[in-house]
Amino acid sequence: MKFICSLLAVLALSTCVTLAADPERAVVQIFTFSQEADWDEPWKFGQLRRSSGTGFIIKGRRIMTNAHVVSWARQLMVKRYQDPRPYLARVVFVGHDCDLALLEVEDSQFYNGVEPLEFGPLPKVRSTVVTYGYPAGGEQISYTRGVVSRIELQTYAHIGNRSLLGVQTDAAINPGNSGGPVIQDDKVIGVAFQGMPGLENAGFFIPAPVINHFLDDIKDGKYDGFPSAGIRTAPLQNAAYRRKLKLPDNDKGVRVDSIVPGTPAEKVLRPDDVVLQVGNYPVGSDGSIIYEGNRMALAMVVQEMQHGQSMPVKIWRDAKEQTVAVPVEVSATDKVLGNQYDLPPRYFVYAGLVFTPISLDYLKTFGRGWSDTAGAELTYELFYRRQESPKTVRSEPIVLSTVLADGVNANFRVRGRALVDKINGIRIERLEDVIRAFESPSNGQHVLEFMPKNTFECLERAEADKANADILKTYGIQRDRRL
Amino acid sequence: MKPSFPTAAPFAANSSTADTRPARPLELGVWSFFETWSLGFGALLIAIFASFAPPASAAPNSDWENSLVYLEVTRKAYEVFQPWTPKSRTVQKNGLVIGAREILTTAEELSDRTLVRVQRGGRGKWWNAEVVWLDYHANLAVLTASDATLWQGLKPASFITGKLPKEGLQIVRWRSGNLETRKAEFNQFLVEDARLSFFQHLQLEASTEMQAVGWAEPLVANGKVAGLATGQGGNNARFLPASFIEPILAARKAGKYPGLGFFPFTWTPVENPSTFKFLKLPGDPRGALVIDVPATPKVEPNLKPRDLILQVDGFDVDNQGYYKDPDYGQLIVENLGSRRKFAGEIVKMKIWRDGAQMNLDYRLPKLDYSVKLLVEQTFDQAPEYLIAGGLILQPLNIPLLRGFGEDWKRRAPFRLAHYAGEPPSAERSGLVVLTSVLPDPYLVGYQDARFLVVDTVNGQKISRLADVQAALQKPQDGFHTVEFQRGDNLRRIVLDAAQMDGATKRILERYRIPAASHVEANP
Repeated sequence: MKFICSLLAVLALSTCVTLAADPERAVVQIFTFSQEADWDEPWKFGQLRRSSGTGFIIKGRRIMTNAHVVSWARQLMVKRYQDPRPYLARVVFVGHDCDLALLEVEDSQFYNGVEPLEFGPLPKVRSTVVTYGYPAGGEQISYTRGVVSRIELQTYAHIGNRSLLGVQTDAAINPGNSGGPVIQDDKVIGVAFQGMPGLENAGFFIPAPVINHFLDDIKDGKYDGFPSAGIRTAPLQNAAYRRKLKLPDNDKGVRVDSIVPGTPAEKVLRPDDVVLQVGNYPVGSDGSIIYEGNRMALAMVVQEMQHGQSMPVKIWRDAKEQTVAVPVEVSATDKVLGNQYDLPPRYFVYAGLVFTPISLDYLKTFGRGWSDTAGAELTYELFYRRQESPKTVRSEPIVLSTVLADGVNANFRVRGRALVDKINGIRIERLEDVIRAFESPSNGQHVLEFMPKNTFECLERAEADKANADILKTYGIQRDRRL
Repeated sequence: MKPSFPTAAPFAANSSTADTRPARPLELGVWSFFETWSLGFGALLIAIFASFAPPASAAPNSDWENSLVYLEVTRKAYEVFQPWTPKSRTVQKNGLVIGAREILTTAEELSDRTLVRVQRGGRGKWWNAEVVWLDYHANLAVLTASDATLWQGLKPASFITGKLPKEGLQIVRWRSGNLETRKAEFNQFLVEDARLSFFQHLQLEASTEMQAVGWAEPLVANGKVAGLATGQGGNNARFLPASFIEPILAARKAGKYPGLGFFPFTWTPVENPSTFKFLKLPGDPRGALVIDVPATPKVEPNLKPRDLILQVDGFDVDNQGYYKDPDYGQLIVENLGSRRKFAGEIVKMKIWRDGAQMNLDYRLPKLDYSVKLLVEQTFDQAPEYLIAGGLILQPLNIPLLRGFGEDWKRRAPFRLAHYAGEPPSAERSGLVVLTSVLPDPYLVGYQDARFLVVDTVNGQKISRLADVQAALQKPQDGFHTVEFQRGDNLRRIVLDAAQMDGATKRILERYRIPAASHVEANP
């Protein structure tokens, strides 16, 4: 039934609207040839993959699409509506946290006769939207119509560890729709980007506030990302707790439960501060605000800020109201806790020993049960140590990911997946320390110490130096390092 | 690391016949449950067949029917996350008459017992019995019965002393009133985790067609006892060998059994010649390399990390950590911590430390479930809990983690499971966890809190439930403040101190909980 309705809508559009109201002319199909990094053997890349998605032309001769449509791309080709010719494209900006990317086509003919699409506002719940795209890789553009079901913060699956504003619709959004525009009143009000297994008639699109943030961010020529405030809040709904903080029992204000170590918020906020208002948004006792008529987490306000800005926050501290400026920053440390793209992993190979930083992508190479026994220590190091004992944190924990078998290391019992503590007595804080440690005087032997049970291995320095080049050649490793 | 030997799913009282006992899988993994179930079903089919068929073979010497008795144990079992509601469970197993009014069996399923009964001849009358001695680490127990009529005609079995035979092994048990005897093929001696403890000791593995083995069935040869069954995976059954059992029984009889000792340190095999060069060990590669020595239990003098254990009690240790046992062949060095040695006794070590050889008289520490941060077992003790205004607080221990299933290392919240590998510290000997919250107006705002490890209550560091009780006696300005361990979770809750007792009373009534707490003075 929905298919018929959509079809009718298209016929109506095609017969009685002008060029500006012909959004499909600005919608392109994107063909991506990509090669992902190998996190276990970091000098390698995986097999060449072919996939397709959707994009749309915006002003400034740019194509907007999803970051996940163009991640790890070796070559990008785009095709215009009803045009057989493929054009080569390249990525100009990509925001993996917000799953948006901008592409550029060098051939200026590509833009001839196309009216770029313009952006509209955040839609209202229950209003109707139409998606444009190429689901399932089909040759012909496909349209689906639905209503805006709800608007709230959603986990963005591409990055995996961020929640940004997302809009749920019952318009069908399927693989291949990714990056396509969601249109209302001839304006783009969103970019289709993900679905949710097990949830029927539910697709999600990235709405205007997130798109605008991305476009504002890149105005200085580089993409920083979405900042966070570095605080964890807890609902302040227990009468006793409110009484202890001398707050009236009025459902206003959320409690700062803890502050993420190492964030600027540490200097201005402290546990048991109560956040009453952020910017112009009053905060409820559950930590929510009302944004454009939708109740959602106060993180939304933080996401409207750009990296490095300060956010005025009205707090309740020591039974008094006061306003503080909380700096917001894009976290540098949480990148390794999410999925990473386009930047292949750093590594260093010496005598067949492969060293690389620990990250979620690395842990995923263990398979589905990556947090089980085999990876428990690495999981703890990556996800928990920073929270629990910030003083013992290393800036970039390094793992001996694998040992490339050779006579010089054949008797190692540690064969990989081991967290490196020290090499030649030097505590390994980051990958560069590994290189420095192997270059430091070592009495003829290298001594490698691992965590957590003090396991260690020794290597004859002269033999290792001698074998190094041959091992690289044997295993087809062109460079011994990527820093 | 050796694979552990997990406890099989207990069977319910209403299905507690010998024929439907689940076998015990040998390996951990998600398939364990399936295997357990399927073997149980297989055993049932065999039982139906067996009831129409004569016993598989006639018992040799036929004296086993006068030495082997059938036991029925009724015990309390607890739901981990609702520990205030004990259930009753009955299991049946085998016992072996070993002396005047003494029956030997395994200690498994004897904890929290409420009734133990003995049956002769595999059918008929039951006699009440009581446990007179028990060691869970050794997985051995001795029972007696006061009624003299039980003992009439029963004869003690004797154990094989010295080297155990590899031929002529049989397993004997009572089945449907008949003595069932089946051949067992010797597979290997191995040193693995004890059934009910974390230490490793000598075990015998034999394959057999007999199913659902593991309930103290004796392994016999030439009319003598070679071992007692502790478990089964597939066709392979595990046994406590007579050479492990007999010295313990002899020491107990002499009143000189101090309990088993163990090696608490971690060692690793070394194959890397460069490591021996680093350690300045001349000659052939040899010795087990010590890498971790825990602070508890205290051992003086103790080993140190990077010591090489070259010899233990006169046995040379090779670079794989094996020694050649005169009776059982190549075994890992762990076995020398329990090979005819008990807690407190000296094991003579020759070690290589800091480039020189030295002798070390290593006094074996006693096995103790509480030596780790998370207590390994809590036998014969109702689970501790404390309901404080609807917060359910429990000690974080391994039995609690097992509440997430046999594969708790996967299923339990990662952070909780990770504590199992952490050592106790000077400031914290144990952990208390808020397992869940019983919803009540008193706790509005905290209803979703669960599986949070408590750091302090009213500023007092918490290691055990008794600490919580003491801290709750000292509210601050009319409030109780509970702080949880640092992490990415909720850190703090505050409760009205004056209303807590009333809330607890109301919650106990609403949720039909008989008591607000069970807290041991010295858990």
